[in-house]
Amino acid sequence: MKVTIKNLTKKFASRDKNGEPVIAVNNLTAEFESGKLIALLGPSGCGKSTMLNMLSGILPVTSGKIYFDDTDVTDLTPDKREVGLVFQNYALYPHMTVLQNICFPLKIKKVPKDERIARAKKIARMVHIDEYLNRLPKELSGGQQQRVAIARALVKNPKLLLLDEPLSNLDAKLRLEMREEIRRIQRESGVTTVFVTHDQEEATSISDYIVLMKLGVMQQFSATRDIYNNPANLFVADFIGNPTINQLHGEYTSSGFKPDGTDEIIPIKADVAEGTRTILAARAESVTFNKGENGISAKVNDMYSSGKDWLLNIDIGNNNLRGYCDADYELIPEEIIKVQFKDKGVFLFDEKSGERYC
Amino acid sequence: MTEKKKRVRTYKDTDEKITAKSLIKPFLFSLPFMVGLIIFTVYPFIKAVLLSFMENYRFLSGKFTGYGLGNYQAIIADPNFINALKSTTKYVLIVVPISMALSLLIAVGLNSVKKLQGLFQTVYFLPLVTSSTAIGMIFRWLYDYDYGLFNYFIGLFGIDRIHWLADVRFTMASICIYGIWSMLPFTIILLLAGLQNIDPVYYTAARADGAKSRDIFFNITIPLLMPTIILTSIVNMMSAFKVYDSLFVLYGGKPGPAFNLYTVIYYLYDMFWNKNKLGNAAASAMVLFVIIAVFTLLQNLISKKTNYYK
Repeated sequence: MKVTIKNLTKKFASRDKNGEPVIAVNNLTAEFESGKLIALLGPSGCGKSTMLNMLSGILPVTSGKIYFDDTDVTDLTPDKREVGLVFQNYALYPHMTVLQNICFPLKIKKVPKDERIARAKKIARMVHIDEYLNRLPKELSGGQQQRVAIARALVKNPKLLLLDEPLSNLDAKLRLEMREEIRRIQRESGVTTVFVTHDQEEATSISDYIVLMKLGVMQQFSATRDIYNNPANLFVADFIGNPTINQLHGEYTSSGFKPDGTDEIIPIKADVAEGTRTILAARAESVTFNKGENGISAKVNDMYSSGKDWLLNIDIGNNNLRGYCDADYELIPEEIIKVQFKDKGVFLFDEKSGERYC
Repeated sequence: MTEKKKRVRTYKDTDEKITAKSLIKPFLFSLPFMVGLIIFTVYPFIKAVLLSFMENYRFLSGKFTGYGLGNYQAIIADPNFINALKSTTKYVLIVVPISMALSLLIAVGLNSVKKLQGLFQTVYFLPLVTSSTAIGMIFRWLYDYDYGLFNYFIGLFGIDRIHWLADVRFTMASICIYGIWSMLPFTIILLLAGLQNIDPVYYTAARADGAKSRDIFFNITIPLLMPTIILTSIVNMMSAFKVYDSLFVLYGGKPGPAFNLYTVIYYLYDMFWNKNKLGNAAASAMVLFVIIAVFTLLQNLISKKTNYYK
């Protein structure tokens, strides 16, 4: 099912420190393709959970419209929208067994007992929880509880599956496992899925599309690959990617970008007035080092490992940056080396507004 | 060769060893309370157990003919005691379920009211803090044949006036109304606490599945509140079995207009105070004790089954 969001806004009655009403979601427009996995991503307080709650119908909207396919669902209650919800702490009913939990939505819908047990068992098999049908939630691990919560949300064949921070209550190892499981379950069921997360790695690793939000405003909505390779502004470039994108402060000149604290120029072409304060942002993998003559001079500080890769920490003028280097790189602190930037993964932003120039 | 391991006992969650010296301070701290407990609870209890087996005990001389089951045989043969057991049980079976159902309704209602909660909390707490004598006086007026509010109320429905306190047919009803009313505050408080312990996310989850208020009440609220409901029922049952003071204030010290509201505690009081049969009084106390103990054990068993969280 396709989800269309038009000019969606949510204002809360509470006021911020300037006495203005809190706008949790501000005039957001987006269209989610059917059968895709979409991540609502952003730092805390960006309005992503508010978005999710408006999609589910738990929260009424202030203005704007939500369409499921061509049906306007803006004023419908959650059960009328046919959405499946997975809560952050799973909200499994503690007094019901796994089977009873999964059956509950069907019981409410007065589905005959035989049918609801059959459907619940089928879903339980899909989420790999069928061995534990007679256990109580307290007898399950976090990951198993998560599976039950997903099964309970899927059993009524929802048109849209919504997950609120589905992995935040799991430990690091289980998180990796469960996010792949969510991906698999989503593929198998084919249901359009929206999930909320504050972890960019989680979002980029499993979603088809990402909605990146900041203070209620959508910063970018694009395919997951594009958001990394083609960030709309400095916030997006900074938020997505690990290690964090390098940022060099400096000035735009006719021949390129001049970092602060050096007279050398990094050649880059953009449609910007000369003398504009700008930020050159470069992914770690777009920075290359050589001990020859090509590129801009940099002073070596240190190198350290990030798993299989090694990162070299250097200074260009007053700016500090990191780039990948070979594991056998011969480190000489304070050595002056040359740095070059690839075309891909290097962007120029306005220093003040964060607007992207190239 | 086996090495004998000396087991060292430590305080919970610490490495600190339990020694005679380390126990002095906590012992001193608990001493004042323990003294009171021993003098006013433990000693009288043991004494009462012994007393119930002493045959032909004389209060003034302290003499008795020997230990035996004579007192128990005597009370079981006493139709007054059997009547007392019957009417007490009847009272418990009427008062406890009705007050529980009413309290549940009121507690669920109060829990959903957000405004004026402070006012309501004061109002429903009143029965607990008002002296039972004052309440007795008020209830005697409420039950009054000519001017009472109860008769006025049933008059609205065209029902004839009732001699609430004087008519033998209505004595059980009058005492039960009073008992239910006085049980409400404590029950409501405990149920409210239980309700507030239920994570609202369960309601949200159920609503999202299309559950109506009725579905939520029966499928989620009641089962999750079950531990509290059981606990409160048992506590109420215990206090209902000991019904006595309400009789005293409503009927001015008599067990009903025709001695028809003879309860176990009243029997005990009667045996002890009026008839001077201390052994019989103690034996009846023991019977009541066993009944209450059985219910307490039952509660322990059930509450273990309804602990969904640990």
